[in-house]
Amino acid sequence: MTLIDRDVQVADSALEVPIVDSPPDAQPVGWRHRHLLDVDVLSWADIELVMRTTDAMREVLGRPIAKVPALRGRNVTILFYEASTRTRVSFEVAAKNLSADVVNIAAATSSVTKGESLVDTVRTVEALGAQMLVIRHAVSGAPYLAADVFSGSVLNGGDGWHAHPTQALLDLYTLRARFEGGSLEGRKIVILGDVLHSRVARSNIWTLTAAGADVWLCGPATLLRGFETWAGRGAADGRRFHVTSSIDEALRDADVVMALRIQKERMASGLLPSLREYAARYGLTRQRLAAARPDALVMHPGPMNEGVEIAADVASGAQSLIEEQVRNGVAVRMALLYLLAGTVRP
Amino acid sequence: MTVATSSPIGTVVADLEISRAWLVDPSSGREGPGEIIVTEGVLEAVTWLDADEADGIDDGGVVVAPGFVDLHVHFREPGNEDAETIATGLAAAAHGGFTTVCVMPNTTPALDDPAVLAGIRAAASASGSPVRALAWGAITAGRAGETLAALGELADAGVVGFSDDGAAVASAVLVRNALAYAGALGLPIVEHAEDATQTAGAEANDGFVATVLGLRGWPAAAEETAVARDLAILAEVVRDVPRARLHLTHLSTAGALDLVRRAKAAGLPVTCDVTAHHLALTDEWVAGARRWAWEATGDPWGDGTGAIVAAPYASSLRVNPPLRSVADAAACREALLDGTADAIATDHAPHTSVDKEVEFGLAANGISGIETALGIVLAAVDAGLLPLARALALLTGGPARVLGAAWGRGPTPGLVEGAPADLVVFDRSETWTVEPGALASRGKNTPLSGRELAGRVLFTLAGGRLAYEAAD
Repeated sequence: MTLIDRDVQVADSALEVPIVDSPPDAQPVGWRHRHLLDVDVLSWADIELVMRTTDAMREVLGRPIAKVPALRGRNVTILFYEASTRTRVSFEVAAKNLSADVVNIAAATSSVTKGESLVDTVRTVEALGAQMLVIRHAVSGAPYLAADVFSGSVLNGGDGWHAHPTQALLDLYTLRARFEGGSLEGRKIVILGDVLHSRVARSNIWTLTAAGADVWLCGPATLLRGFETWAGRGAADGRRFHVTSSIDEALRDADVVMALRIQKERMASGLLPSLREYAARYGLTRQRLAAARPDALVMHPGPMNEGVEIAADVASGAQSLIEEQVRNGVAVRMALLYLLAGTVRP
Repeated sequence: MTVATSSPIGTVVADLEISRAWLVDPSSGREGPGEIIVTEGVLEAVTWLDADEADGIDDGGVVVAPGFVDLHVHFREPGNEDAETIATGLAAAAHGGFTTVCVMPNTTPALDDPAVLAGIRAAASASGSPVRALAWGAITAGRAGETLAALGELADAGVVGFSDDGAAVASAVLVRNALAYAGALGLPIVEHAEDATQTAGAEANDGFVATVLGLRGWPAAAEETAVARDLAILAEVVRDVPRARLHLTHLSTAGALDLVRRAKAAGLPVTCDVTAHHLALTDEWVAGARRWAWEATGDPWGDGTGAIVAAPYASSLRVNPPLRSVADAAACREALLDGTADAIATDHAPHTSVDKEVEFGLAANGISGIETALGIVLAAVDAGLLPLARALALLTGGPARVLGAAWGRGPTPGLVEGAPADLVVFDRSETWTVEPGALASRGKNTPLSGRELAGRVLFTLAGGRLAYEAAD
């Protein structure tokens, strides 16, 4: 596949790090996407720019007063149609750190419960001043509909089973910080669990194959439906990946294991016999992790079911990056809000 | 070449002469250069030109063919007139070149009672359109899938067969009973083949595109198991009721068509149709590709052609059955060529913007397709995949034969001197751009918005009367 293209010549100016204390529209930044709806449209140069901008945001977060005026006067509206704590708060903190005005809308308390359509809601929040819209929605593709009617920038905060771009980029950032030279080339990365229903898995397939990682998807066969075909065709640059129901095969010599949340609804729909059986066969325990490389890293996008898909001691162990994922989430979201803001006049 | 009739819709065409055209008569299998004269609504003269007179006339210009027959339309009246009425549906049909349509009974209330049919007929009559509206009655009362509708009363009232379209008849026992009961009445059962247990919440064809887009998969097996079930039941029912007939509508998978192919070879009384959109569009369109099925690779992201030219998740593409794989679309073409499929239908399914301009997974299923079907079919003809005469036979004689005695006009559609003029005149050399706002249908839900289609319809005459005339 060609959408993530590592061979594109990058202009020198694009390799610079944006001066994130200043508004993004005050300087040339090599970012051309008005919206961020999926990672599959990002070039490798785009991804590198996000990583460098995230570095700059990390520096801001290290200051005594972790705040820059870059988005002062901009309205960032956070519209969440699904329950979420970590991602919503992460976006809110990120926007506030950039001095944006933040409006939070939880769909459960809005007109949505009175039957208002997404299109009408988006038009309404725009009329109320929204310039950037962060949207989470249970239906795959919903952010594309929002982007179609919104005149500012739309940032996908997770849509259905489809995409979770900020999670994939924060995962990539977190891993790059841990590997020699920031390269994931050839690293065996296992995404373990309910891949079928996971937007985190789908977005990570694009970014991790783009980074040259050896990506493995592992879980019960019912939760891998359709992925063998995708693995055979390949993702970024046509890079193939692996799909297996054998956790032993997946974990052997793995550099990274990313466990995914398993939901109780999967039993009702007949995809799994029981949570107990899932935990016994696919739970990431210390014993299982021993099959991976000794220094293997453990990730989880949260929220976790400790004792089901991941053992508590693994989640909080020395190899766990889970808290770092959360910290980096704020920096990556600051970077993306900043870059997107540069493409639309306030 | 042509003279504008300047008559209002519905009036008898006093005088129309089409000269130097390409005539296609599926009833006789003949096509070639010629001319026609319509006088006082009657096809007075059909003249086939000799080679020396036909200089410069070929099948790439003005074509005259019998009016098209659509086995599968939803006109939404009664109950959802915001989406379509009988009048707007008939106007849309005429714009698409259709002169006979068979409306599906999934209205509110369902067409499970002769009174509903009487209302539809009254609306058709009041519309002034000469397009003939035939109707399928419901198989089960209220389309609820529990008890048989009043099949005999509906037959007496003039329905052309029975269908619970929109959903399959879940109960195999009811399918068996309906095939037998309707068979004794000489009418077919029209099945929407879908095993609902496999499609709960399904959004897009179960395959590569759905996997990447995170859409709930709609497996081909859901259609194929329903087809296999119905064929097995039919094979037993015909032993007792030789007149039992099954028509499978909007088949969309290679496997389902293959089951029909084998059943026909075994002599079972089964027919089927495929839609224009399943012939020409694939699930790639949901990913944002906009190439015809025969140009597609199935991998819009990675085939290196830059196939993705539109935003993904356009809800106008949400349809039941879903747009399928490239191989399935090829199987639809193959079935139309080898006689496995008897007809091209439109499954014209207009919806309001309230029901359609929403998230992909929440959008109503259906494509407003009766005005674009000819253009889609001609794209396949232009690509050399379907001979013109075969394509037009699948829009005329094919569906008329599915209707059997219910066709009600003696011979199948043709260009027959002395009969009321029932024909379409279109120009393959003229293109038109699909603009939803300009469609006669109230359903603006077309995935072809902005696309140029060949074969602009110039005239549609139904039963000797003017049904449609191009504006200029």
